[in-house]
Amino acid sequence: MSTTTPQAPDGAAVRLTGLHKHFGDVHAVRGVDLLIAPGEVVAFLGPNGAGKSTTIDMLLGLTRPDAGTVRIFGSDPVAAVQAGRVGAMLQAGALLPDVTVRELVTMFAGLHRNPMPPARAMEMAGVTDIAGRKTQKLSGGQAQRVRFALALVPDPDLLVLDEPTAAMDVEVRRAFWASMREFTAGGRTVLFATHYLQEADQFADRVVVLARGVLVADGTGAQIKSTVAGRTISAVVAGAGADRLGDLPGVLGIERQGARTLLHCNDSDVALRALLASCPQAHDIEIAAGNLEDAFLELVATSRQEAAR
Amino acid sequence: MSTVTTTPRAPRTGAMTARYALMSTRLAFRNVRFLVLTVALPLLLFLLYANLYQGQDAGDGLSVVAYLMVSMASFGCIGAAINTGARIAIERQVGWNRQLRLTALPAHSYLVAKAVVSMLVTLPALLLVFLAGATIGGVQLSAAQWLETGVAVWLGLIPFAVLGLVIGFAGTVDTVQPISMITYLGLSILGGLWFPVDQFPTFLQDVAKVTPSYWLGELGRTVLAGQGVPMTAVAVLAAWTVVLGLVGIWSYRRSGAKV
Repeated sequence: MSTTTPQAPDGAAVRLTGLHKHFGDVHAVRGVDLLIAPGEVVAFLGPNGAGKSTTIDMLLGLTRPDAGTVRIFGSDPVAAVQAGRVGAMLQAGALLPDVTVRELVTMFAGLHRNPMPPARAMEMAGVTDIAGRKTQKLSGGQAQRVRFALALVPDPDLLVLDEPTAAMDVEVRRAFWASMREFTAGGRTVLFATHYLQEADQFADRVVVLARGVLVADGTGAQIKSTVAGRTISAVVAGAGADRLGDLPGVLGIERQGARTLLHCNDSDVALRALLASCPQAHDIEIAAGNLEDAFLELVATSRQEAAR
Repeated sequence: MSTVTTTPRAPRTGAMTARYALMSTRLAFRNVRFLVLTVALPLLLFLLYANLYQGQDAGDGLSVVAYLMVSMASFGCIGAAINTGARIAIERQVGWNRQLRLTALPAHSYLVAKAVVSMLVTLPALLLVFLAGATIGGVQLSAAQWLETGVAVWLGLIPFAVLGLVIGFAGTVDTVQPISMITYLGLSILGGLWFPVDQFPTFLQDVAKVTPSYWLGELGRTVLAGQGVPMTAVAVLAAWTVVLGLVGIWSYRRSGAKV
């Protein structure tokens, strides 16, 4: 349905301010501020344990933050949920057993004020063909799609998806994002969590990176990719030139491993050309794609150093 | 278009709660093991005992069969009420109640609906045992007496419905089965639904008279005997409802905080 997104008093679809959450000794979320404009498709990228799910739980009003505030279209998250403005696909929650998919979606629609017709939600999520199947007999990917149907049922202005494509194979994943595109074409706001950089880059207008409970980067997919998913050039470089490798274009930093030098790059093509030009004797060259997890940690470290300065 | 301001709030919430209660009741009736436990067991026990004690007098103007009919109906209903509520633990564990919190159904409506479900699923046990009493057991009552007794026993089940919710929020999937089983059988036996309390040792008789199950049986028997509504029974059952309700709210909040 192409409901026009009503303007919130403060104009934002989502406004998180200074969110903190502890679980015992674990400080899971440490001061998250995030502003999402209506119509944005935002990826929430981060490794496991970064605090994505906790932040999403607070955003949806499922968990109360220890500090900070959550506003969705200018109102309290619980009120926004009850008004049917938010649909969400939760991570790893099992579906109610002993019911068919159709019964479940219909039941869920009965608990909303202005739901989308259940048949339409099932069609958009691609579960019409399994509507008669019992929920406990579904494969992981099918269960995810049913969860997507449940998220669509309120006909929401904001859709929140926590790792939506986990348990989906490549084909299903593609179909899933195709139906997402259809859904967002009407100008709805989407926030999805993922730990796949590729997925974030492909489907989001904006990527927000969370690591160890802090936002460490915020930009377009391309921007994040250049910072986060840099490549590493490894080579044996003898002689005087080795000390100045860190100054080469495209190189972010260097590291020594025995005889080898590791060049962490944001643009490995430029860096390699420069390396060969300045040190023609460099040999045994290897180029490796950056490890996302390491890159995240690097981002955290960088952001801490910046904060300390 | 604002969907919030144009929608009259209260009536829709009420309708939503009723709809949710009905859907959940339908699901509860699909559980075969549950129906066997709560309907078949008390019914079989009643038929067995009714055969043994046919024609004997229990005093207070009650036949033994009528006495047993109230006891076995109460026994079955307690099982239905407690086990239904306890199933909340399963919904909680699989994360289904998190999904429910993303609907327009308010938290208190969820609790009310679950209590209504528990009350509704007691009806088969109540009706079938009474039916067996009227036919095979030969219990003869006026239509008004049947109705009064049935309603008295049914309303007396409210604290047990609340107890089921408490177990559902306090327990986990692993603990909830044994807890509800022990509570169900323990209360039934201790409350004199299997053997009359006056056959207990003295100290146990005192314990029995604190249980809600004893007063449920007492309520049913007194009304059946046409002696009016026993106020002590009503007071004790009401007190249990209040206490369990408070524990229920506490464990509900606690389980919500854990999510």
